[in-house]
Amino acid sequence: MGTSVQVTPLCGVYNENPLSYLVSIDGFNFLVDCGWNDLFDPSLLEPLSRVASTIDAVLLSHSDTLHLGALPYAMKQLGLSAPVYATEPVHKLGLLTMYDQFLSRKQVSDFDLFTLDDIDSAFQNVIRLTYSQNFHLSGKGEGIVIAPHAAGHMLGSSIWKITKDGEEVIYAVDYNHRKERHLNGTVLQSFVRPAVLITDAYHALYTNQTARQQRDQEFLDTISKHLEVGGNVLLPVDPAGRVLELLLILEQHWLQRAFSFPIYFLTYVSSSTIEYAKSFLEWMSDSVSKSFETSRDNAFLLRHVTLLINKTDLDNAPPGPKVVLASMASLEAGFARDIFVEWANDPRNLVLFTETGQFGTLARMLQSAPPPKFVKVTMSKRIPLAGEELIAYEEEQNRLRREEALRVSLVREEETRPDDNSSELMDIDTKTTNDVVSSLGPAYKDILIDGFVPPSSSLAPMFPFYDNTSEWDDFGEVINPEDYVIKDEDMDRGAMLTGGDVDGRLDEATASLMLDTKPSKVISNELIVTVSCSLVKMDYEGRSDGRSIKSMIAHVSPLKLVLVHAIAEATEHLKQHCLNNICPHVYSPQIEETVDVTSDLCAYKVQLSEKLMSNVIFKKLGDSEVAWVDSEVGKTESDARSLLPIPSAASPHKSVLVGDLKIADFKQFLSSKGVQVEFAGGGALRCGEYVTLRKVGPTGQKGGATGPQQILIEGPLCEDYYKIRDYLYSQFYLL
Amino acid sequence: MASSSTSLKRREQPMSRDGDELIIMPLGAGNEVGRSCVYMSFRGKTVLFDCGIHPAYSGMAALPYFDEIDPSTIDVLLITHFHLDHAASLPYFLEKTTFKGRIFMTHATKAIYKLLLTDYVKVSKVSVEDMLFDEHDINKSMDKIEVIDFHQTVEVNGIKFWCYTAGHVLGAAMFMVDIAGVRILYTGDYSREEDRHLRAAELPQFSPDICIIESTYGVQLHQSRHIREKRFTDVIHSTVAQGGRVLIPAYALGRAQELLLILDEYWANHPDLHNIPIYYASPLAKKCMAVYQTYILSMNDRIRNQFANSNPFVFKHISSLNSIDDFKDIGPSVVMASPGGLQSGLSRQLFDIWCTEKKNACVIPGFMVEGTLAKTIINEPKEVTLMNGLTAPLNMQVHYISFSAHADYAQTSTFLKELMPPNIILVHGEANEMMRLKQKLFTEFPDGNTRIMTPKNCESVEMYFKSEKMAKTIGRLAEKTPDVGDTVSGILVKKGFTYQIMAPDDLHVFSQLSTATVTQRITIPFSGAFGVIKHRLEKIFESVEPSTDEESELPALKVHERVTVKQESEKHISLQWSSDPICDMVSDSIVALILNISREVPKIVVEEEDAVKSEEENEKKVEKVIYALLVSLFGDVKLGENGKLVIRVDGNVAQLDKESGDVESEHEGLKERVRIAYERIQSAVKPIPLTAS
Repeated sequence: MGTSVQVTPLCGVYNENPLSYLVSIDGFNFLVDCGWNDLFDPSLLEPLSRVASTIDAVLLSHSDTLHLGALPYAMKQLGLSAPVYATEPVHKLGLLTMYDQFLSRKQVSDFDLFTLDDIDSAFQNVIRLTYSQNFHLSGKGEGIVIAPHAAGHMLGSSIWKITKDGEEVIYAVDYNHRKERHLNGTVLQSFVRPAVLITDAYHALYTNQTARQQRDQEFLDTISKHLEVGGNVLLPVDPAGRVLELLLILEQHWLQRAFSFPIYFLTYVSSSTIEYAKSFLEWMSDSVSKSFETSRDNAFLLRHVTLLINKTDLDNAPPGPKVVLASMASLEAGFARDIFVEWANDPRNLVLFTETGQFGTLARMLQSAPPPKFVKVTMSKRIPLAGEELIAYEEEQNRLRREEALRVSLVREEETRPDDNSSELMDIDTKTTNDVVSSLGPAYKDILIDGFVPPSSSLAPMFPFYDNTSEWDDFGEVINPEDYVIKDEDMDRGAMLTGGDVDGRLDEATASLMLDTKPSKVISNELIVTVSCSLVKMDYEGRSDGRSIKSMIAHVSPLKLVLVHAIAEATEHLKQHCLNNICPHVYSPQIEETVDVTSDLCAYKVQLSEKLMSNVIFKKLGDSEVAWVDSEVGKTESDARSLLPIPSAASPHKSVLVGDLKIADFKQFLSSKGVQVEFAGGGALRCGEYVTLRKVGPTGQKGGATGPQQILIEGPLCEDYYKIRDYLYSQFYLL
Repeated sequence: MASSSTSLKRREQPMSRDGDELIIMPLGAGNEVGRSCVYMSFRGKTVLFDCGIHPAYSGMAALPYFDEIDPSTIDVLLITHFHLDHAASLPYFLEKTTFKGRIFMTHATKAIYKLLLTDYVKVSKVSVEDMLFDEHDINKSMDKIEVIDFHQTVEVNGIKFWCYTAGHVLGAAMFMVDIAGVRILYTGDYSREEDRHLRAAELPQFSPDICIIESTYGVQLHQSRHIREKRFTDVIHSTVAQGGRVLIPAYALGRAQELLLILDEYWANHPDLHNIPIYYASPLAKKCMAVYQTYILSMNDRIRNQFANSNPFVFKHISSLNSIDDFKDIGPSVVMASPGGLQSGLSRQLFDIWCTEKKNACVIPGFMVEGTLAKTIINEPKEVTLMNGLTAPLNMQVHYISFSAHADYAQTSTFLKELMPPNIILVHGEANEMMRLKQKLFTEFPDGNTRIMTPKNCESVEMYFKSEKMAKTIGRLAEKTPDVGDTVSGILVKKGFTYQIMAPDDLHVFSQLSTATVTQRITIPFSGAFGVIKHRLEKIFESVEPSTDEESELPALKVHERVTVKQESEKHISLQWSSDPICDMVSDSIVALILNISREVPKIVVEEEDAVKSEEENEKKVEKVIYALLVSLFGDVKLGENGKLVIRVDGNVAQLDKESGDVESEHEGLKERVRIAYERIQSAVKPIPLTAS
């Protein structure tokens, strides 16, 4: 009857692993999120690899590794080829995150799971949507509408609404209901009663979130305390996500206090990140866009933060206390790891974690209580080859090249063996060419192959010649008018001159690393790092806490709820809570376990005839209007079902009181009418001298799925009784 | 008769509120260019598109005809772009009228709107009484304006709308409004041609039912952009080469940025020109550069690629000029100055100085509004009137090279052919151009299915859309799909323009509404015997079931399965029921009865034989009543054979079966009346259903 909906987790249930879920709607397979973690373990993606080829569309929700890290790998290795949908910032910042991941990895290992080109090609065809843009899928997904809505966690991060035939499936993970400096809170609470809500229980057990102001104060106090005694502060951050919020806090604070300590933002992509952030004002909080509209102050025009893209610049920076924000947050790779090792043994220094490190990473280890005194760290470094190794490498390369040349020339000889009847001239040519070939050596192939394919019939490389025999008609040579049209070229020349790499906005160092073909190798050594610096963790994760999660879910009150992405205890906790208070259908599937959340809702469509509607009088209630209808089913001309007015008088129906009575509001109302009211024990309201009014039955969530409200009014026969009853009736609509 | 009149009355009200009539009325820009403002109303929802002023007039005369409408009824006001003729009466409309709806525009539009209007207020040389608004009003309006991103769908009071790129200026949008399934596209100013920094207008993926489209260029065709650019640069190059000065009057924002991009690039490619200065005399545009640098997402890929390397809006060969005092008029130069219409300000000052010199040139780069000096000099008159009132010969070269990003005929007709809207409304065009466009479009859509309208200001266009109202029956009510003739009864919930029918028990499941049951318990002092009450109740009510309270084992009575009467104690009787009109009525009568007993005044005459009255007698009594009532209604009523009642009215005969209520008659009208009468009599005879279902 309804739209069939199935959810299959591929990764990230009952633990903190990356997120990746399969949602199929009437056979159309959505992959929502395609995450990986900083350890890049391909075994995590096994479930994905089994279904990758059947996926019809990919939806990305956040721009960090946990939500989109596996995209390049899946596109290249697992046969994922579906169109990808994301918001513009998720696309751009996700791209930068992946660049940073790759470049950090490449520095310390022979990373070969994906290359920069794979990242580019994976992100090239992302279809970019704006918030609340209803995108109608076509083809196989005909009738499905997808729309991203603000999630409030990172810039551009989204909760996805998938709609088919009025049935809504909402995917909302890692949302944040709080408004932050650069982001508005999520709009999740604007959805009510969707058929399915897929959400995470990640923070279900986390409750002690301090107020923003207090937290900011602590954060800044901790930093300035260490700076003032001459220490350095390291904030391991993600390259392009939550870091934006931290930068704004620091920037603002530095401005207020007029601090002179330098702040460095060090990732491979830092300058691009900020450039993009500057042009994403549409996606930021009202206050950021308002300040721009009224005073043209772009919040990300950072005055106190120096953007660095390689470590040498930091080493060359003037000595003295400084704040460094560096990637990766997990300390598994990247500049942050190097800096940590350098700074760890000075007790004046501070390493300030702003989010819980990924499971099994160095950051997580350092966040444990009590923090370890020593950590064993494997430090790897890419160094250029030198001495014998270089010679060996070059010999190896030469050997490879020679072999290749030999192979090519063999192939060529076979192809170009002159026919017996070929002319003498050709023979001569062949010879000379062969001379050329030999003189050019192994590079020969590269010159000729690139952009030029010799005609198969020719013996030697030569440009093909086509004789243009022109056609003639009565008016002369036949021309093609298009040849004489001025092409759009000259305008685009400007663009060509200034470089056309749209997505590959790489920084110089990045580019040099990309183009750096200098032979190099990775060397590793293990060292024991004494951790004597201060380690502090503060919550800047930008996720709603347990209590808010519960009230959000209660507000949304989905008909069916699927819980993902949290450790077992948290999942169980939230599941129990929801089962008891919100809805009876809560699922928490295991990996590769498919849960069918097809709504068992019956529904059919009818046309409301004009005759019927002209006699219906609506009563307005909140933002909807209600009326009682009695009708008879008929057919329209197009053979659809239609509701007509009932010919005879309708049989009376049991009257219904519609409305939502809140005792506290009613108390106010009564006292405004001059009735003495006070709360008696047990939630009862004593009105006047004798009459009491109470809500009986389960007092669940407001309006929620707990059923109709039961209100009991009792009292002796007196005038007050009838008066209060009238007031009570006035709170409802009688249908 | 009474019934039909009430139903008529009922019908009237929803008709006016819920009618199918869609009204579109230009309050400005109808058969003119300037003060764009189009009013639209459908199904009680009202939308206003744009809110501009007429650049050729000043004071109140420049406003659209706001008197024609009631601003307080407008739900949504949508502004397409920041140009004065589309947005400048907004502060007035927001602050000086009763308007209390919501206003939407794009991010870039909002940012520039403030700068542009603040500048406008400063520049306009109108006396204080004539000022429509001041800076304070603009700042206040900023708080009320909400932003919308391209493609983002917003819903206000059931009006859904979203916008597409319009390509006219930065942030320009075309709005698509969807009210109850009827879609209206308002293009504002649009251009389907991509230029140096803007994207071309998008083609909406849905075809609208009505397209309100600009017709600025009527049937004219633009030259190809490259030819225009070449003419532009050639004119400038040759003028400055001969030692002349070039004046380019341009509105501060929009086209000016495009022209600067062209000039900067041309200068970069021609080193021989490097010693000739280009001035851009607009502090406003300088301020707006930050906006242009920020909202690159609204621009085309070309600019975004350039932006990756360096900011194309940081010009290398162009310097800015704050006022004419800073300008040293020595030798050839190129000056771009605002305002574009040469009404006043710097462009006019320079024009007055330069217009008599033959070597000089004035390049008019865009569409000029009727009534401005720039429009006048396009026709190259012999003399012009200077600002000081004197006349001077017009010797300078005047070139009109249009760069304005409005659609030309080719773009308009292909755009409309792709969309195929059944109704086209032309606005924003001079009357003559509009007529020509209308005629030519008629030839393009010869099948007659397309209506093309050109309403004048305050002339409304009415259209009728019979949209089907579809409802979704859900939940318990939909467990069985009904066949023809079945009845469906439930609560109809209307939210926006979507309807749902559901069972009362499902209300809280499928909507945010909830139902409630109110249980009432009332205690009445009574010290008599319980049996007395029972006895009396049985006299009055048909169904009185004795029972006992489960907890207290006290005797209780259930009247009509609704109201429970219970003896609480020696001195008290309690009544409990759950609220609904019938129960309240029953309980009230029980209360009255009990009170009467305790007063010991036997008001009710007890007929002993009633106690043993059998069912049969009861039936007979009912029959009697029915007969009497029918006689009083129709006069001639007789008991016919097989127990049917024969009713004769004016020679027509109807037969009524007393048991089932079936009526047989040749005459339809009579049959219907008898049937209704019978039903009413039935409900009068047995007002309370025996069971509470």
